[in-house]
Amino acid sequence: MERIIKVLNEINPTVNWEKETDLIGNRILDSLRIVQLVGALNDEFDIKITPMDVVPENFCSAEAIARLVGRLEDE
Amino acid sequence: MGYASYKYLLIFLGSVLFFYTVMPRRFKWTVLLAASYGFYWISSGRLAVFLIAATTAVYLGGILLDKIGETAALGKKGLEKEEKKQLKSLISFQKKAVAALTLCIIFGMLLVIKYSGFFANLFNRAAAFSGVDVSLPVFSFVMPLGISYYTLQAAGYLIDVYRGKYRASYNFGKVALFLSFFPQIVQGPIGRFDRLADPLYEGHRFSYENVTAGLQLICWGLFKKMVIADRLNIFVADVFGNYTERSGSLILAAGALYTLQIYAEFSACMDIVTGSAQLFSVELDKNFERPFFSKSVSEFWRRWHITLGAWLKDYVFYPLSFSPAFMGLGRFTKKHFGEYAGSMVPATLALFFTWVLIGFWHGAGLRFIVYGMYYYAFMVAGMWLEPLIARAFSVSRIKRDCLPLNIIRMFRTAAIVVGGMMLFRAGSVTEWTEMIRRIFTDFGSSEFMQAVVGCGMDIHDFYIVGIGAAAMLAVSILQEKGINIRESVARQYLPVRWAAYAGLILAIVVFGAYGTGYDAVDFIYAQF
Repeated sequence: MERIIKVLNEINPTVNWEKETDLIGNRILDSLRIVQLVGALNDEFDIKITPMDVVPENFCSAEAIARLVGRLEDE
Repeated sequence: MGYASYKYLLIFLGSVLFFYTVMPRRFKWTVLLAASYGFYWISSGRLAVFLIAATTAVYLGGILLDKIGETAALGKKGLEKEEKKQLKSLISFQKKAVAALTLCIIFGMLLVIKYSGFFANLFNRAAAFSGVDVSLPVFSFVMPLGISYYTLQAAGYLIDVYRGKYRASYNFGKVALFLSFFPQIVQGPIGRFDRLADPLYEGHRFSYENVTAGLQLICWGLFKKMVIADRLNIFVADVFGNYTERSGSLILAAGALYTLQIYAEFSACMDIVTGSAQLFSVELDKNFERPFFSKSVSEFWRRWHITLGAWLKDYVFYPLSFSPAFMGLGRFTKKHFGEYAGSMVPATLALFFTWVLIGFWHGAGLRFIVYGMYYYAFMVAGMWLEPLIARAFSVSRIKRDCLPLNIIRMFRTAAIVVGGMMLFRAGSVTEWTEMIRRIFTDFGSSEFMQAVVGCGMDIHDFYIVGIGAAAMLAVSILQEKGINIRESVARQYLPVRWAAYAGLILAIVVFGAYGTGYDAVDFIYAQF
């Protein structure tokens, strides 16, 4: 989780990532930020996030992002 | 058969609702399918063959993809790790080949019918310019109704099956109904198979609530189309048709009123088609969300023609941005030009191709590509300048999210949109630049009031449009505040409720632009 928060802070350090639970609905993560985040997560965790993974359930909170990364690391 | 015609609303829609209601539940979908193909045949005749071809292609392509997936799942059992890897790579190749071939067929039809003339012309001009004595024949095809819409829907279905989002349907009728459903075939919204196919196919009992809500939406759509859009068309057509003789102030007014016309008209069409679908208890995706409350160009495009933007985001923007080539370019840029540039490059480049496609989707011509680039330029400028703007607000200690600034942002966005709509309406890029030039060099505001009523609309027409636009604005403000107007009206006492309905119908009958002196105007977005 710490590594996820570190990546998220690089995208935008002004957001309290651990508390936010509707990152998509609140437009904290728009399509530009998603692309930036996916690039950073792919590099940091050596995974491959696909367009199919870009659904609100996977990006609505830092926890959801951590779950997605964990699942892709296991694959 | 236009959606705003009595033939559609009274005869066609009424008959379909009657047969749908009396048909046993498991066969209700056949009524919708027969009605959809009947509607298509009446509007486009033999060109229905292209719709059938696209349907057959994605139906068979989907099944093939499904079969390949099934074979792979069975074949994996008992294999060693290395053999599994080889099988996976073979399966991946086969699936890509099937998906690519199917997409080539459906987009091939669209390319040949809609764009071959443009490309042949382009080639011939390039050949003539470089002195080569070669020329391609330039064919002009009649466009099958809704080809730009159903092709995207068909492609979306196939790509989703390819990606494994859901399994292919083995029911040809279900796929055919999904691609041809009559309320949405002409102008969208561009539907998704996982949300639309089942509600269409399942069959629903007659619902008084849905029928009345659907009829209310249709009436509201008719009001916007006939009272506002069709009336404005007279003025807009006059000024745009004779812009060389009109002052800059009139051209600017025509640009603003054309923006109002196209919004009233396109959203009216969406209300009519969404209301039509609701009669059968089918909910279509939303295509508009009060776009003129947008504070930026990117927000505008999230609220305007939503299903087109969402389609391009899912099937063009993200796949391009996440592709190894774009991600690799991002890493390269990061290494050589810094962290910020590296994080921006994949999205900026993917957005470029997305906007070329948006422009090109709207029409085969240079003007439409410039139209796409116009919005792209504003969007990219906003993206890249964002840190600088944030810093300026932080240093100046001005509150960024406050009402006065938000109102200024809305007007700024509206001004940019008016500029874009003028380009969309102008005959060519040259005409558009000339219009812009006249706005800045020959404004002629002194004679504006006399001139404005000399362009086909008299002062009463302007009053009616003004009242209609004010009603539309009031409804939008209430919706923006989260108030569901139809539900609010439904909660009122019967006399109040019926007075509201009667008032709306009366307004359409009394103030609608029809009869002598008015031409029934085709929906602008039906030309794609």
